Amino acid sequence: MPGQKIDLYKLYKDEYVTPRKPILVKTKPAQYLAISGQGAPGSDRFSACIGALYAVAFTIKMTRKFARKQDYAVCKLEGQWFFEADPARIPMDKWQWKLLIRTPDFINETDRQQAVATLREKRKPHEVEEVKLETINEGQCVQMLHIGPYDREHETIALMRAFAEQKGLKLVGPHHEIYLSDPRRTPPERLKTILREPAKKS
Amino acid sequence: MKDFTLRMHKERMLRVLVYIQQHLDDPLRLEILAGIACLAPHHFHHVFTGMLGESLARHIRRLRLERAAWRLKLSRMPVVQIALEAGYDTHEAFSRAFRNGFKASPTQFRRRHGTAYQLQVPSGVHYCDGVTLKDFRATRTGVKTMTVTIKQLGPMRVAFMRHVGPYNEVGRTWDRFMMLLGKEGLLGGDTQFIGICHDDPAVTPPDKIRYDACVTVGACFRPQGEIGVQVLAGGDYAVITHFGPYEKLGESYAKLLGQWLPRSGRDLRSTPCFEIYLNSPENTDPADLVTDLYAPLEPMQDILRR
Repeated sequence: MPGQKIDLYKLYKDEYVTPRKPILVKTKPAQYLAISGQGAPGSDRFSACIGALYAVAFTIKMTRKFARKQDYAVCKLEGQWFFEADPARIPMDKWQWKLLIRTPDFINETDRQQAVATLREKRKPHEVEEVKLETINEGQCVQMLHIGPYDREHETIALMRAFAEQKGLKLVGPHHEIYLSDPRRTPPERLKTILREPAKKS
Repeated sequence: MKDFTLRMHKERMLRVLVYIQQHLDDPLRLEILAGIACLAPHHFHHVFTGMLGESLARHIRRLRLERAAWRLKLSRMPVVQIALEAGYDTHEAFSRAFRNGFKASPTQFRRRHGTAYQLQVPSGVHYCDGVTLKDFRATRTGVKTMTVTIKQLGPMRVAFMRHVGPYNEVGRTWDRFMMLLGKEGLLGGDTQFIGICHDDPAVTPPDKIRYDACVTVGACFRPQGEIGVQVLAGGDYAVITHFGPYEKLGESYAKLLGQWLPRSGRDLRSTPCFEIYLNSPENTDPADLVTDLYAPLEPMQDILRR
């Protein structure tokens, strides 16, 4: 089998730092498997999208592995959240998001289409067809580890915003989260999430 | 009811403990001991470790050492013979083990006055020449901190690949299994990843350990090549969540089967336990791994009928 298993977190460890205080990170353009939707976290639509995203991610990886192509670890779930106003004022079922799994650059559209076709052949839910490959370029970001329930992220974001202002920067969004813990079992006060906010000169 | 089952579970185990003491010179095979306890061999070691606070192998080793201590003091048997009957091939190995427990070499121990013959254990079970064991303390250190829920499961149809070999190599079987299923589009978002260990790594030789890597599949899936299909029985299960590395799963099983179960008013069904992996060791620190452990329970009415 060619080379060792690739771990993108190790390869790009500068982009996945988990500081307890806000810091600046420089990110390079990165390729993701992505699926967009609207609805409350935990809603049927949200869960179906997570399922579809993982199904495509696993199928691409395993198909390549079987063909003895470069192996890699499937990354953790990430999400971008698009809020036009303070999320506390938007009903949760109107929340808009894009769920992501970072994927090596050598994965291409043919891999994706083939995986989707295989999954549909096995009658996996139609959401797999909505999973796309997408390159996101966030450039300079403020980043910080949030420990605790998701509904207290605004406290961490406030620290990040203050830090950005100090540096003469403005958070321009979209808000990006990298889920390090499994919310199904981890007690809310122990949930670890990397928060990333793209920032530009103000 | 709960008192009744605790008594029942303790009586079964007491029969085993008495049998062990009367057969310290025999190989003491797992199947025989499990039979005396009315337990399936794959449940026995967890129940034993949980109730006694030490594994079966340790228990036997300790009793043989305690017997050796008695013989050193109360007989004129040569040390070499005592060592042999305690299960040690060489005097050195015996001396090391003995010193480890009794903090003295066998010869020092023989000369010394008023030394205790017993090694400290929570169960209070010790070698006692010619006296039949009447009772023991069932360990309960983990009972308070354990959150056990009873779940009713329907039968689960799973594809599986059998691994025979050291437990710490099951990862390789998983890799291959996942690859073969994944390329077929059989790993969806709702797929559950399940492990069934049929043997105890502490008792069975590493090359003989049987483990099934299982993945839930739909009714259309047919066995192919190395991949078989089995149905995990539905029914009541006692479930606890294990947080942390897979090497410590045994401790959680022992608590569930050996400490919680005897006090629960329930009894085990003979089908094996299984574990459901909630996150992947591929991208998770061992300390953050989360696993649900499922112990199959007999239907309540079967216990009430007794």
